[in-house]
Amino acid sequence: MGPRNIFIAVIAVVAIATGTWLSYQLMSPPPAPQTATMLPAPAELPEFSLVDHTGRSVRPEVFADHWSLVFFGFTHCPDICPLTMRVLADAKIQLAALNQDPLPRIVLVSVDPERDTPEIMSQYIGYFGDGNLGITGDLDELRKLTNGLGIYFEKSSVDGDDYSVDHSAVVLVMNPAGRFHALFGAPHEAGNFVHDLPIIMKSQ
Amino acid sequence: MRFALPLVVGCLLAACSVEKTPLVATDVDISRPIPGMQMTAAYFNLTNNTTQAIRITRVTSPDFESVEMHESVLEDGMTRMYALGDLTILAGKTVDFEPGGKHLMLIRPVTDVDSVRLEFHAGKAVVLTVAVPYKE
Repeated sequence: MGPRNIFIAVIAVVAIATGTWLSYQLMSPPPAPQTATMLPAPAELPEFSLVDHTGRSVRPEVFADHWSLVFFGFTHCPDICPLTMRVLADAKIQLAALNQDPLPRIVLVSVDPERDTPEIMSQYIGYFGDGNLGITGDLDELRKLTNGLGIYFEKSSVDGDDYSVDHSAVVLVMNPAGRFHALFGAPHEAGNFVHDLPIIMKSQ
Repeated sequence: MRFALPLVVGCLLAACSVEKTPLVATDVDISRPIPGMQMTAAYFNLTNNTTQAIRITRVTSPDFESVEMHESVLEDGMTRMYALGDLTILAGKTVDFEPGGKHLMLIRPVTDVDSVRLEFHAGKAVVLTVAVPYKE
């Protein structure tokens, strides 16, 4: 085989390999979340008027311009709520270490507005890192938000004069358009958020 | 990080005469209350080294106004918290108090100390006392 034929053969092999690789890439499905469930179409939030942890009035637009991880809990909860907030904070730290940009904002919506004043919410969310958002306020307005998102909560008595609140354990993902985009079911692990969030964020 | 073995200073069970401590709490994990909050949770593993069941009827602490035994349960996507009236640990068995499950709810600190003392009661007897520093 002469040098010209060898050259043609090499070009042919490279072309076939490149074509095979390209077709594989084009035909492969995009990576999918392992634990999160993405909504077929992001959903608009219901109208509501609540306050944030600084006392500022907030409406659905508060979720715009951020990817948000939204958990519904309360500050008098000794176990699940700090556990979940810690998981979300750890996930955010791990995502930052992986140079994820943008990073999600952690949002705690209180299901115990009777005790969770903006001042208490401010102290509580600040414990789990910077840039977090706390939302509390009027119970009827809170119901507008939770009912529209399929979040359930109910006051329950545990012991003595204290009460607890049973509540949905899910973490919702809001997209920068301020729409409900995906959800993570409990129990929560930081690794699930670290794996799935970048995929979810690219899906918009 | 959990503490491997808390200080065991109390033991009034008849089984105290055996070599092993009758009731032992290991891996005790208590965080300070979050600033501004009035409660925290305690986690540990409680092992009954005797040949008889031990029924813990209540837990107290001189460092908190009240202590309640609770269990968090995840049911149909909902998290609920139940009060445990008492807790029976069968002979030779261990009961785990862990995040998302059984835990002690320590309510309203009354001291500003670096460690927490817990007293486990079986009826009128204190069957175990542990003192552990807060987790850093």
